[in-house]
Amino acid sequence: MRRVVILLLALVLSPSLAGVALAQGTLRIGMTASDIPYTGGQTDNGFEGFRFVGYQIYEPLIAWDLTRGDRLAPLVPGLAESWEARKDQPTKWVFKLRKGVTFHDGSPFNADAVVFSYESIKKKDAPHFDPYGSGQVSFRLASLTGITKIDDHTVEFETNKPTSFVPYQVCYMLIVSPTQWQKFKDWRKFAEQPSGTGPFRVTRFVPRERLELEANKTYWDAKRRPKIDKLVLLPLPEPTTRLAALRSGQVDWVEVPPPDAIPQLKGAGFQIVMNSYPHNWTHTLRLDKEPWSNKLVRKAANYAIDRVGICKSLLNDTCIPATGVVYKGHPWFGKPKEIYEYNPAKAKELLKQAGFDGTRHPAKAVQLISTSGSGQMLPLAMNELIQKNLKEVGIDVDLQPVEWNTLLTRWRAGFKTPENEGLNAWNISWNFLEPWSGFGRFFHSKSVVPVSVNTMPYINPEADKLIDEAERTFDVAKQNEILARLHEVVVDDAPWIFVVHDQNPRALSTKVKGFVQPQSWFVDLTAVTVR
Amino acid sequence: MAIRAVGGVGPGDSPGVVDAGRASLPPDVAPMSYWRTVAWRLARDPATLVAGGVLIVIVLSAILAPWLAPYDPSAGSIRLRLAPVGAPGHVLGTDEQGRDMLSRLLWGGRMTLVAGLTPVVVAFLVGAVLGVLAGYVGGLANTLVMRTMDIFYAFPAVLLAIAISGALGPGLPNTLISLSIVFIPRVVRVAESATVQVKGLEYIAAARASGSGVGPIVRHHLLANVLGPILVFASTQVSLSIILAAGLSFLGLGVTPPAAEWGLMLNTLRQSIYVNAVVPALPGLAIFVTSMTFNLLSDGLRDAMEIRA
Amino acid sequence: MWTYVGRRLLLAIPTLLGASIIVFAMVHLAPGDPIAAVMPAESSKAEIEATKRAYGFDKPLPVQYLVWLGRVAQGDLGRSIATRRAVILDVRDALANSLVLALSSSLLAFAGGVGLGLLAAFRQGRSLDKVASMVAVVGVSIPHYWAGIILIIVFSVQLNWLPAMGAADGGGPIEYLRHMALPTVALALIPLGVITRVVRSAALDILSQEFVLALRAKGLAGRRVFTHVVKNAAPQIFTVLGLQFGFQLGGSVLVEAVFSWPGTGYLLNLAIFQRDIPVLQGVILVLATFFVLLNLVVDLLQTLVDPRIVRH
Repeated sequence: MRRVVILLLALVLSPSLAGVALAQGTLRIGMTASDIPYTGGQTDNGFEGFRFVGYQIYEPLIAWDLTRGDRLAPLVPGLAESWEARKDQPTKWVFKLRKGVTFHDGSPFNADAVVFSYESIKKKDAPHFDPYGSGQVSFRLASLTGITKIDDHTVEFETNKPTSFVPYQVCYMLIVSPTQWQKFKDWRKFAEQPSGTGPFRVTRFVPRERLELEANKTYWDAKRRPKIDKLVLLPLPEPTTRLAALRSGQVDWVEVPPPDAIPQLKGAGFQIVMNSYPHNWTHTLRLDKEPWSNKLVRKAANYAIDRVGICKSLLNDTCIPATGVVYKGHPWFGKPKEIYEYNPAKAKELLKQAGFDGTRHPAKAVQLISTSGSGQMLPLAMNELIQKNLKEVGIDVDLQPVEWNTLLTRWRAGFKTPENEGLNAWNISWNFLEPWSGFGRFFHSKSVVPVSVNTMPYINPEADKLIDEAERTFDVAKQNEILARLHEVVVDDAPWIFVVHDQNPRALSTKVKGFVQPQSWFVDLTAVTVR
Repeated sequence: MAIRAVGGVGPGDSPGVVDAGRASLPPDVAPMSYWRTVAWRLARDPATLVAGGVLIVIVLSAILAPWLAPYDPSAGSIRLRLAPVGAPGHVLGTDEQGRDMLSRLLWGGRMTLVAGLTPVVVAFLVGAVLGVLAGYVGGLANTLVMRTMDIFYAFPAVLLAIAISGALGPGLPNTLISLSIVFIPRVVRVAESATVQVKGLEYIAAARASGSGVGPIVRHHLLANVLGPILVFASTQVSLSIILAAGLSFLGLGVTPPAAEWGLMLNTLRQSIYVNAVVPALPGLAIFVTSMTFNLLSDGLRDAMEIRA
Repeated sequence: MWTYVGRRLLLAIPTLLGASIIVFAMVHLAPGDPIAAVMPAESSKAEIEATKRAYGFDKPLPVQYLVWLGRVAQGDLGRSIATRRAVILDVRDALANSLVLALSSSLLAFAGGVGLGLLAAFRQGRSLDKVASMVAVVGVSIPHYWAGIILIIVFSVQLNWLPAMGAADGGGPIEYLRHMALPTVALALIPLGVITRVVRSAALDILSQEFVLALRAKGLAGRRVFTHVVKNAAPQIFTVLGLQFGFQLGGSVLVEAVFSWPGTGYLLNLAIFQRDIPVLQGVILVLATFFVLLNLVVDLLQTLVDPRIVRH
C-alpha cells in the first residue's frame, strides 16, 4: 500500500512527463485576451485578435510585411497582386486577385469570395451578413461604399470620395470561404470550423480555454509555409498567471510578461524581445461634458502625469513617454507647441485658470478601463498611478474596470448610450499604422459614431481640412508633411491624455527560434521553430 | 453540575471545541451572575487571553491608524516601489505603487474590520430578533420566515455575496449590504432553533408553574440558551466575514482602488510575488491573523458559556 | 419517517422557486435596458426581435418570469453575450471541472479532518491534541486565495514541481491530476479545519458519555470504543461534510481565480467583468439548484442514519 502511494506521488510530481506529451514543433502562446478571439472571419479582441487569429487563419487583399524589425512594417500584396485607383474615376479602385489560391476547405479563392466577405461586413440585408463580425471591423472600412466583381480575378471597390486611404482600410478586411459558410449558413457554426486562406488552419476549438491550429501545408506562398506543426493559443489575462505558465513550461511564448519579472526571466535564460511600434496608450476624453470639455483641464491632466516614473519604475523600461499621438522621430510628429512633461505645478495653475479649485470644486471624472487586453499593457497598475497623479493636482478620477472585449464593445457604441452616459473617458490603446487608424477615424467630424469611432466627439474644421487634404494626396512625402501639421493641432488641443508608447515586450522560452519582432502590432509566425 | 445548555443544532453551524470535564465553575459556589461566570471562565483560558490581547492590539492600531501610521496611505513615489521589508524609512517595505506598507496595513485594518464586523453585527441584531420572534410565535409566521431564509440559505456564502455585489456594483456600502444579506439567514436559523428548544424546556414550565422567581431564572436560562448560542455563532462568522469581504475586494467587487483594504492589497500585490514574495504576503497574513484571533476568541466564548454546538 | 421525507421534498420546491426569482431579478437589477443585458451589442434587428419575443420582454413582469422559468425548465438558459454559445453548454463544462475539484478537495478535507479530529479527541489534552487543534484553527482562519498564491510561489515557481494554472492541456489524466494538485490543497484548507473541529467536538461528547467512561474505567477500551465513537459521530460528520462540499463548490470562485481553473467560479468571475448577464444567471441558478438538492440529500441521509434526528 505504501509503495503504491509513493509511486503515485512520484508520478504526480514528475515534470518530465509534460514535455514528452507534446508533438515536435508545437508553439504554445499565452495571450492577454480573456477568451479565444472570434474565429468567424472579422475577429474581435482588438489587434491581438488579428495578431493570433485573424491574420493567421485568414488573409486580407493587402497584407503587412512582418519579416523585418528595422523599419515600420509596410503594406505589401496579400491576396491581391496589385491595386490602383482608376484614373478616369478616382472613386473606383481595381484590385487584381492572386490566382491559384485555395481555402482550407479546398474551394478556390476568387472574386466571389471577396464580394461575399465584403457583403458579410457591409450589406445588412444579405443572408450572409455577420452582425458580430461587421460590428468589429465596419468602422475601419468607412470609406468603402460598394464592390463589384469584374471577372473571376478582378474586383472593383467604390469609395465615397477620392481617397488615398483605401489600402489602409482594405488591409483589415479578411477573406472568408463562401463555400464553407454555405455548408452551415450560420456564422456561429462557421466559427467552430472556419476556413480561410492563411498559413494556419483550426483543428480544435475549446471556448474560453484554447484554440489549436495546424500548419497549412498548401499555403500559396511556399516561402512562408509554417515551420512549426502546431500552434496553440491560450487566453491568460492575468500577468502573473502568464508568467507562471511560462516559467513552469506550460507555454513557450507570453505576451506582456509582468515587467517586474523581466530581470529574473532574463536571468533564467528566457528571451525578452521588444521593439517600438505604432502604439499609443491614452485616456480618450469625452469632450462634450465637464470636466474634459475645458481645454485647460485637458492640458492640466497632461502635465500632471509622471510618464518617466511609469516607464522607468513601474514598467521597467518597456515603454517610452508619449507626448502626442505618435512618438518623436515618427514622420508625422512635426513640431508641436506643447511639450507635455511632468509638471504638477503647471497643472494646478491651469486648473485654477479653468475654475477648478482642488478641494472646494474638484474636477471629477469617471473613466472606463480594462483589466487586460491587446496593447493595454498593465492597465490596473498604470491607471492607479495616473489616478494618483491626477488626484495630486486636483482631479478626482473614478476607475471602472471591465473586461477588454466588453470595453471595446461599449466604446464602439459611443458615450451617448444609457450604459455609457455616466462616463468621461475610455482607456484604450490606439495604433497609428496608417493615417486612417492614427487620425482619420478619430479627428474628422465625419467619423463621428456610428460611421466610425470619433466618440469624443472631436469637431475641428482645421483638422477636417488637413485630413481631407491628406486623403487627396497620393504622394507619401507630401502626405507625411500634412499629417505632421495635423499632429501639431491635435497635440495642442489635447483631446486625449497622452501617456506612453509601448515597446511590445514578449517573453519567449529558449526553445523558440527564428522569430523577428517587427515594428508592428502583428507578427509573422511562419518562420518560427520550436525545438 | 450546572444545567447544560443544548444549543440549536442547525446545518452550517461551525461547532467549536468543547472541553468536557474541566472545572467549569468558580470555586466559590455561591450563585454568581451569569456573565460574571462567563468572564471568569474566559480569563482562565490562555488561548483566549492571548487571542484577546492580539485582537485588542489589532483593533487599537486600526482605530489609532491616523496617528500611528508613519505616512499617508495613498502617498508614495513610484520610484520607491516594492522596497523590501526593512528598507530605510519603510519598515515593512513599500507596495507596487511605492506606498508605505505599514501605513497601508494600519489603514487597511480599519476598512477590513469595518467590512468584516459590520455585516455580522447587523446580522446578529436583525437575525436574533427575527429568529427569536419566529421561534416564539411559531405557526404560519414561523414557516414563512424560515422558508424565506431557506431560499437565501440555498446559496453558498461566496456565491450569494458575488451575485449581490455583481448586481449592485463595487464599493464598500454595497459590500456591507451583500454580506449582511449573506449572514442574516444563518443567524436567524440558530436563533429560531434555540428559541424553539428553550420554549419546550421543562424547567421553564416548572418555574412558571411554581410561580416562584420566574424572572431571574428565565433570564438566566434565556441568556444561556438563546442569546448564548446566537452570540457564539455570530462570533464564529466574523472570521468568515472578514475573509469574504477581503475576497470580494480581491475579485474587484468590493472596495475600489486606491483605498487601502487588505483584500484589495492582496490582489494588487499579487502581480509582484515574483519580485519580492514577502511584501505581497503581508496583507494575507494580516487577514489570517485577525481571522484566527476571532476564531480563538469565539472558541473561548463558547467554552465559557458552555454552549455545545 | 417517510412523511418527513415527503415533506422535505415538498419544501425544496419553494426554495428552488425562490432562488429562481432572485436569479431572474438580476437581469432587471442591472442598469440599462434588460434587452441590452442579454444581447450582444451588434445583434441584428431580427435577432433582437426574436429575443424580445422569446423572453417576453414586452409583457408584464410576472408573465416574463413564467416565460423564463418555462424555458429554463427545458434547459434553455439563454445565450452567452461573449461567446454566443448556449449558456447551458458553458455551465455544464464548467460545472464538471468544479465538481472534480470540489470532490477531490472534499476527500482530502474529509480524510485529513476525520483523522486529525479523532486523533485530537482520543489524545485530548495532550500535545497531539493541541497540535491538531491548532492546525484546525489555522485551517479555518486562512484565506484560501492567499494560501493558493503561496502554494504557487513555492511549488510552481520556486520548485517547479507542479503547474500553476489551467486544467489539462489535452494531455491525459496524469496531466489533469498534476494541474489539480495545488488548487485542491488550497480549497481543502478551510473545510479541513472545520471538519477537524466538528469531529473532535463530536467525539469528545461521545467519549464523555457515562457508559464510555465506565468502559474505559474497566479497561475495555480500544476498538470497541473507537467504533462506537465513529458510529455515533457519523451523522454530524456527514452533515458537515455535505455543507463543506457545498462551500467548496461555491467558494471555489476565489481559488479558481488564482489558478485559472476552468470551473464555475472562473466562469462567474469572467462573466462579471464581461457583464455577461445570461452566463451569470445560468451559473448561479445551476449552483443554487445543486445546493438545494445537496442539502436535501444530506438531510435525508442523516435521517436514514439516525432517525432520532428529525429537522422541522
